[in-house]
Amino acid sequence: MAGIRLHVISPLVLVAVGKCARDPSVFVRKCAANALPKLHELRQEEITSAIEEIVGILLNDRSPGVVGAAAAAFASICPNNFTLIGRNYRNLCQILPDVEEWGQILLIEILLRYVVASHGLVKESIMSSLLCIESSHSEKDVFDVNVALEDNGIPSRTYDSELVNLVSRSYIEGLGEYLTRSSDTNARSSDLNGARFTSGKTNDDVKLLLQCTSPLLWSHNSAVVLAAAGVHWIMSPKEDVKRIVKPLLFILRSSGASKYVVLCNIQVFAKALPHLFVPHYEDFFVSSSDSYQSKALKLEILSSIVTESSISSVFKEFQDYIRDPDRRFAADTVAAIGLCARKLPKMANTCVEGLLALIRQELLTSDIESGNGEADVLIQSIISIKSIIKQDPSCHEKVIIQLFRSLDSIKVPEARVMIIWMVGEYSSVGVKIPRMLTTVLKYLAWCFKSEAVETKLQILNTTIKVLLCAKGGDMWTITRLFSYLLELAECDLNYDVRDRARFFKKLFSHNLCSQVPEETNALQENKDLPLVLVECIFRKQENLAASEPINDRFYLPGSLSQIVLHAAPGYEPLPKPCSSLCDDLGQFSNSIDRTTALGEEWTGSSSNGTDDPDTSGSLDEESGSNYDSQQSIPGLSDNSGTGDSASEGDRNCDPLIQISDAGIACSNENGASHSGFPDLEGMMSKRALESWLDEQPGSSSPSASEQIQVRQSSARISIGNIGRQVKAKSYTLLDPANGNGLKVYYSFSSEASTISPQLVCLETFFENCSSETMSEVTLVDEESHKALDLADLTLATTASSLTSQSDLPTLVPMEEITSLEPGQTMKRILEVRFHHHLLPLKLALHCNGKKLPVKLRPDIGYFIKPVPMDMETFIEMESRLPGMFEYARRWSLVY
Amino acid sequence: MLFLKSMPVIASPTHYIFQIVRAGITFLACTQVEMPPLMGIEFLCRVADILSDYLGELNEDLIKDNFVIVYELLDEMIDNGFPLTTEPNILREMIAPPNIVSKMLSVVTGNSSNVSDILPGATASCVPWRPTDVKYANNEVYVDLVEEMDAIINRDGVLVKCEIYGEVQVNCLLSGLPDLTLSFANPSILHDVRFHPCVRFRPWESHQILSFVPPDGQFKLMSYRVKKLKSTPIYVKPQLTSDAGTCRISVMVGIRNDPGKTIDSIILQFQLPPCILSADLTSNHGTVNVLSNKICTWSIGRIPKDKAPSLSGTMVLETGLETLRVFPTFQVEFRIMGVALSGLQIDKLDLQNVPNRLYKGFRAVTRAGEYEVRS
Repeated sequence: MAGIRLHVISPLVLVAVGKCARDPSVFVRKCAANALPKLHELRQEEITSAIEEIVGILLNDRSPGVVGAAAAAFASICPNNFTLIGRNYRNLCQILPDVEEWGQILLIEILLRYVVASHGLVKESIMSSLLCIESSHSEKDVFDVNVALEDNGIPSRTYDSELVNLVSRSYIEGLGEYLTRSSDTNARSSDLNGARFTSGKTNDDVKLLLQCTSPLLWSHNSAVVLAAAGVHWIMSPKEDVKRIVKPLLFILRSSGASKYVVLCNIQVFAKALPHLFVPHYEDFFVSSSDSYQSKALKLEILSSIVTESSISSVFKEFQDYIRDPDRRFAADTVAAIGLCARKLPKMANTCVEGLLALIRQELLTSDIESGNGEADVLIQSIISIKSIIKQDPSCHEKVIIQLFRSLDSIKVPEARVMIIWMVGEYSSVGVKIPRMLTTVLKYLAWCFKSEAVETKLQILNTTIKVLLCAKGGDMWTITRLFSYLLELAECDLNYDVRDRARFFKKLFSHNLCSQVPEETNALQENKDLPLVLVECIFRKQENLAASEPINDRFYLPGSLSQIVLHAAPGYEPLPKPCSSLCDDLGQFSNSIDRTTALGEEWTGSSSNGTDDPDTSGSLDEESGSNYDSQQSIPGLSDNSGTGDSASEGDRNCDPLIQISDAGIACSNENGASHSGFPDLEGMMSKRALESWLDEQPGSSSPSASEQIQVRQSSARISIGNIGRQVKAKSYTLLDPANGNGLKVYYSFSSEASTISPQLVCLETFFENCSSETMSEVTLVDEESHKALDLADLTLATTASSLTSQSDLPTLVPMEEITSLEPGQTMKRILEVRFHHHLLPLKLALHCNGKKLPVKLRPDIGYFIKPVPMDMETFIEMESRLPGMFEYARRWSLVY
Repeated sequence: MLFLKSMPVIASPTHYIFQIVRAGITFLACTQVEMPPLMGIEFLCRVADILSDYLGELNEDLIKDNFVIVYELLDEMIDNGFPLTTEPNILREMIAPPNIVSKMLSVVTGNSSNVSDILPGATASCVPWRPTDVKYANNEVYVDLVEEMDAIINRDGVLVKCEIYGEVQVNCLLSGLPDLTLSFANPSILHDVRFHPCVRFRPWESHQILSFVPPDGQFKLMSYRVKKLKSTPIYVKPQLTSDAGTCRISVMVGIRNDPGKTIDSIILQFQLPPCILSADLTSNHGTVNVLSNKICTWSIGRIPKDKAPSLSGTMVLETGLETLRVFPTFQVEFRIMGVALSGLQIDKLDLQNVPNRLYKGFRAVTRAGEYEVRS
């Protein structure tokens, strides 16, 4: 009857179910439990409490069958009503092994949540590393954790405590919360402090749960095994976690689909506690019947659990895998070898030798065979070698030399690029390599013409790197080679190559003109600016720390979210430890925390979420235009302009910014006086270089001026230094090549528009790169002026423009720039409406009476608007969010 | 689509889909919210098992023919998205399996439903897997040890991994409510175990004894794993040499450790690498088949006493390819009746609450599981 989903009869059904719940027959009670979720789905407020009451009665039942169904009802109706569980906890634990298997899965999870909520985490479990971190308040301090672990009496355990910390933290907090938390580490109030832990040895409830779930590890239902393993993983003391290993490995033998799911979970376990799985490495050997996903997961697990003792047999296996007909898998194997070698530096030599042999073997056939897979294997093996060499370049000198030698026979462009990169990077390593350099460069210059585009670019970069650290007699040869290469590149078909060649030429014009190296040194005083700049650009890689960020996401073991690696709708992290004791207080403070964190993100520049964003935005604009008027007349008061930028550069710690700022001041000066000093063009193209290399987004003048602007406003509304960290990325709207020397670029300033909240503010900069004055520069929306040429529009954009025509004006009319002097930069604030789609906006730029079509590309991040709301509304809105990843789209499955 | 086909969990923008493939039929389940993925997959496996149990085997035509039964089964097995009755014995009582008589009846009487009107008694009992009133004229119980040997032999001929995955299958034809106790002579060799829900955990924890009230009919009492075995019953020695665009293959098969019983239905299967254009294979014993998808099967059957079976032949490589660099993996199948290669022995089977006339039977069989030889 509950299947009839009518609101009218639901009170009747409720009465019937309530009676059935007290029926003497087990089957009737079970059916009553099954009917409850259906009733609940009707979403009638008035009967909810009655339903929960019945759930409580059914959970108290003696019969295992009823309890299983009641657990299912509980999970779908009121998963956070822990008082219901608390009443029956002991009974539920004892009955757990007899409950039917499907009910067991859900009941295990419910009990786990209850225990965490009421008693907190177990002190001896791996989750306790969380405690160490929290109490010392030093997130990244791995040392601390190790000390704490040694105190615990387990000094020999070596595992990635940072990772464990991350895993446990993400179990409890959920990913979104974790991210917002880490974004403001200082501001957060740690509500997970040490007092919330309990000891597994003294707490009876925890002990009971572990006792009852351990026989379930023998269940023949793999889902039950995994759920029970999850409980032990989180709750059991460190010494006992190994109990879950064998059952987990056993369920690998079941069907292919569940094998994949189990492997996904083991992967997380193995990353956090590799020593658990070390003795069982044989179980992860790949068999040919595995699916590709399983194979890849097995490789990853193997490379994370490999140790000194097992490495030899693992490598023998890997050698077999390399010959597998599935070349994708073979490439993965090569990558895994690289990982192993990085993990165990002692094996690095063996690995490199093996990989070199593999490369040689590949070379024998790769020129004949056109197969994609072979190229992948080759590229992957060079990547692996590269990563091994990176750890200790000096002791792999011979390997590097061998790679240089093989350059002749390697034909795959990606592989060549990497070897050429190594030429530049390790040009000063060891004794032999510097001697080889000229020969290698000669060879590269010789075959430059026939290379692919990326290889050409890399050759140019490498030559500069070599040039920078070249000494003595080589200098001359290399300089000549370099100028030869530049000449070649300048005539290249690809314009990226041409552009880079031109840029380098300007940068090095001194070195090339004065071909005597001593002279360069002597004149360093005057000309060190470009040189330092070049050093900064090309020496940067060395400073980069080799630490790779842990960007994996972790969800509760056995959950769907762990498999698909995003929080599925309805996913909930573990409840806050002991939250059911001091429930209200903890949750309240926590939600405040979250609101402020989110508010910070939304308003962008104001750290205090209660500030009215509108006023601060308009203040910013005002101050921005103040500054603009200063900036636009550098020619008149160049002293003040230079001083301004220089002092502003001083305050920044990044050397690159300092140089570029000084350079801009300099270029402005030069542009005004038409001195024709060769620095000018170099500086001009520097900006283009930045957009190529993408190294320092927005480090050029827009961000500089923006920073000033932010700082000025900071004086008024006294925000912290957060604005300095936020660097707006600038996009090019119009290239000087296409716009007769007019360059237009824009950046999204996260300010609110004063006119309508639907408008997005853009800071647009007009720069005159030509030598003539431009007049009447303005940007208009093409659609409002009907005089556009539709002929060259593609179908898709036509459709979008049709839709946008019917809407409001997309662009608020811009104040016209009457004239723009050469070298001058003007700023305008554009207010654009993007209609919430990501298609580029077609605009027309009028300049000197001519019309130039341009496309404005929206950035999805700036569609977000600050919305002031109080706590109640926030909580209410938050509860309405169905899930982070829900969006409607038609999806059809075709086989 | 090929990529999606092999993914057990597919995330679409609005739904998550679990899939398993059995005998060319894809079983799909979908969810919109978080749930344990193994629960979905395990349930699908259970559905597939029960369908193949009901229909004898599993293929598209059979499912189409017995659509009513399939629908009734699904209706009983899942309710409101939660598994309801998955115990095969109870299902069998609720929904009669298809047979000639029932088909005749339905045609004659026009009553198409074969769902029984009375509720099976077991649903209410404390042992939900066993019907309450079972009566047999002859009381019999058979215990089978079915073992599968998983092995990996690497390129150098070294046994890398060798383990047994075994199941204790019981066919129980006993009246009343019997209580059985099964003990092994050498339970210590078991590396890991999994049990049917009927097995009581306490006796196993304390004395490694299986104590259970069996379901009626055939069921899987437990499965176990024995690791790190030292030898395999047969050897397979593949040799591939390639030169100047052709590749010579020779495979030798023979008995290494005689298990004492005959090894039969030996089949060797391997996938030819994609770079091979054509293959000409002959054997001195058994038959060789090369399918169009380059899967090559060599059925040997029994190994003759007088000679060692061998397969030899030449393969032509793709033009331009001098030597072979990817090598196939050989999958071996065999069956040995009467032997459990793990060495597990059943000590005794005690019964309580059973009538006096009783027949107990034991059998063992070993098959090859994932038995691979790399070349």
